Amino acid sequence: MQGMQSKIVLAAALLALAGGVNAADVKRGQKLFEECAACHTHERGAQNGVGPNLFGVVGRKAGEVDEFRYSPAMKRSGIVWSEQDLDAYIADPQAKVPANRMPFSGMPDARDRADLLAYLLSALK
Amino acid sequence: MAKVLKEVDVVIVGLGWTGGILAKELSEAGLQVVALERGAMREAAKDYALPGIRDELRYVHRHDLMMNTARDTLTIRNNPSQEALPMRRLGSFLPGDVVGGSAVHWSGHTWRWTDMEFKARTLYEERYGKKYIPQDMSLQDWGITYAELEPYYDKFERTAAVSGKAGNLQGRIQPGGNPFEAPRSRDYPLPPLTSILASELFADAARNNGYHPFPRPSANASHAYTNPDGSKFGQCQYCGYCQRFGCEANAKGSPHMTVIPIAMAKPNFELRTNAWVTRVIKDSSGKRVTGVAYTNILNGEEFEQPANMVLLTAYAINNVHLMLLSGIGKPYDPVSQTGVIGKNYCYQTGAGATLFFEGRNFNPFMSSGGSNISMDDFNTNWDFDRAPHGFIGGYTIGGGFNTALPIGHRPVPRGTPQWGTAWKEATSKWYQTAMNIGASGSVMPNRYNCYDLDPTYRNAFGQPLMRMTFDYKDNEHKMGRHAAERINAIAKSMNPTHLNEASARTEPWTVVPYQSTHNTGGTIMGSNPRESAVNKYLQSWDCHNLFVVGANVFAHNCSYNPTGPVGALAYWTADAIKKKYLKTPGPLVSA
Repeated sequence: MQGMQSKIVLAAALLALAGGVNAADVKRGQKLFEECAACHTHERGAQNGVGPNLFGVVGRKAGEVDEFRYSPAMKRSGIVWSEQDLDAYIADPQAKVPANRMPFSGMPDARDRADLLAYLLSALK
Repeated sequence: MAKVLKEVDVVIVGLGWTGGILAKELSEAGLQVVALERGAMREAAKDYALPGIRDELRYVHRHDLMMNTARDTLTIRNNPSQEALPMRRLGSFLPGDVVGGSAVHWSGHTWRWTDMEFKARTLYEERYGKKYIPQDMSLQDWGITYAELEPYYDKFERTAAVSGKAGNLQGRIQPGGNPFEAPRSRDYPLPPLTSILASELFADAARNNGYHPFPRPSANASHAYTNPDGSKFGQCQYCGYCQRFGCEANAKGSPHMTVIPIAMAKPNFELRTNAWVTRVIKDSSGKRVTGVAYTNILNGEEFEQPANMVLLTAYAINNVHLMLLSGIGKPYDPVSQTGVIGKNYCYQTGAGATLFFEGRNFNPFMSSGGSNISMDDFNTNWDFDRAPHGFIGGYTIGGGFNTALPIGHRPVPRGTPQWGTAWKEATSKWYQTAMNIGASGSVMPNRYNCYDLDPTYRNAFGQPLMRMTFDYKDNEHKMGRHAAERINAIAKSMNPTHLNEASARTEPWTVVPYQSTHNTGGTIMGSNPRESAVNKYLQSWDCHNLFVVGANVFAHNCSYNPTGPVGALAYWTADAIKKKYLKTPGPLVSA
């Protein structure tokens, strides 16, 4: 729990650093989350869909949401999700975790991902 | 002894697109609605997720989402002189058998049928004279117009996340779309899907031959999308597992992830699965229905569900079967050409070529349900003069792939041995190099193509099986030959290394290989009870509180896939019930 809080503080600090020059656009990120929303919920306690619920994903070990059937690849990945990990995974899911089962080909644009993650981090608090 | 349940406002028989749409619309209108579905509950998150969903053996060969022929099937014959025999295994068509129905395993092709169909007899008589229509072709107008249906097509396209490109916006022809389509009030909710190499090559060739190719409209979301009801769609991943599978990315418009969950969230809606409806119950006057009888197929318990209104929204064939089993409406007799229930059963025809290009890599495993490019030059193009060719109707031509499965899709040049070393060498050599060009053609009604109850064979509930009598007639042979010639001409203009030429289907129709799940007619709509089973609102002419919704109301079959008008008509019927019928229950059209 402490680890997660420090991750959020760190993420907030990173966002603050990025602010001013190239502030991530949370509103735009919310729009971009539509690409995820057909399968993922992100509210606390919401049901898993085709994909696992994303509440509290930052700082969580990959493959540990209750009652979600993960691919062996995801369970074996050993990832503890940082913002950088999420960025790499969303950019190219099969490159970051080969043989995982998320049917999503990736979000190649770095700014899109920054906005999406900014939204996710703000929504997951 | 059947247990009689508490009366409800509406009972819905079958929960696919039509049942789902009506369940949502009528439960939102405040009615007490019960839906009875013969299949089991299936949900995307549990049942259509990776990796289980990509199982060709389970879904293609063992028909996991489809009707179980050990419980109920049809008997089949080509003409009345033959003895019909039961179809023991699914083949030519694949009715669904789960919550969501056939709309779980469809591809998503969503077309707008136009007045060229709805006014077919009038238009052909005006242009070619009465004698052009063969004596035994029971062609008739549908009693509805494109203008009436247009807002409902639009509504369905938005519900189902149809990706496409308008060709005619309010009468203005749009570059890149289908110039032969009827005017649309607005564009599709989503832009067309990304085209694949095979469809691009076909589009170039079609254009070079003077035709008008356009992206096929399909309920595969080209982008993430939230529909007007708030249902969320993911983006199509071009995974290639569309037809016969549930969608792993929630990108294919299906009732189980749109209208059905909305109805299920209402306290006045109840779904009962594994509930097999055996008949609709009439009152003593015969002018009203009072509910349905059904069996819980898990334990054999029998029930009667009384209802103020009955909606038959099962698969097209089953809707007709229930009408015959319940004795509602006069059964059709092909000899005297009297009666209406079972009349004008139609199917579709087609022709296909396979082109092989040595050195090309088509990556056939990568496609969406709608990544084909189509052309309507011999279909909705009324300027195409049918007279020199002597047929009625038309066909679309399409190029590309739809669900070219890694195991099942094995294109090889004709003449290759069907097994052994030579086959293995050929399949490995040609797999990446082959693409298809195919035609889907209309089938016009014929007095002898019809349904009735089989005199011999019975289902697991002791009821007579549905008997289907069907064959292609001269009209379809002529059109098939025309289609095959045009396909081969386009294919040859592309200079393939090798060509498996298209040919017309002129042999008797057989139920064995898969062809298309586009069975139409049997309880057709029309303007009078002498010629049709239901009026333009799909309300039974015989019992005013019975509506029969599905492709079973089509007066004939065109070249297009049926789901566009099936969905639009469901919304149209829902509106007629809400705005007219509930205010003054009774016949909505006077006979």
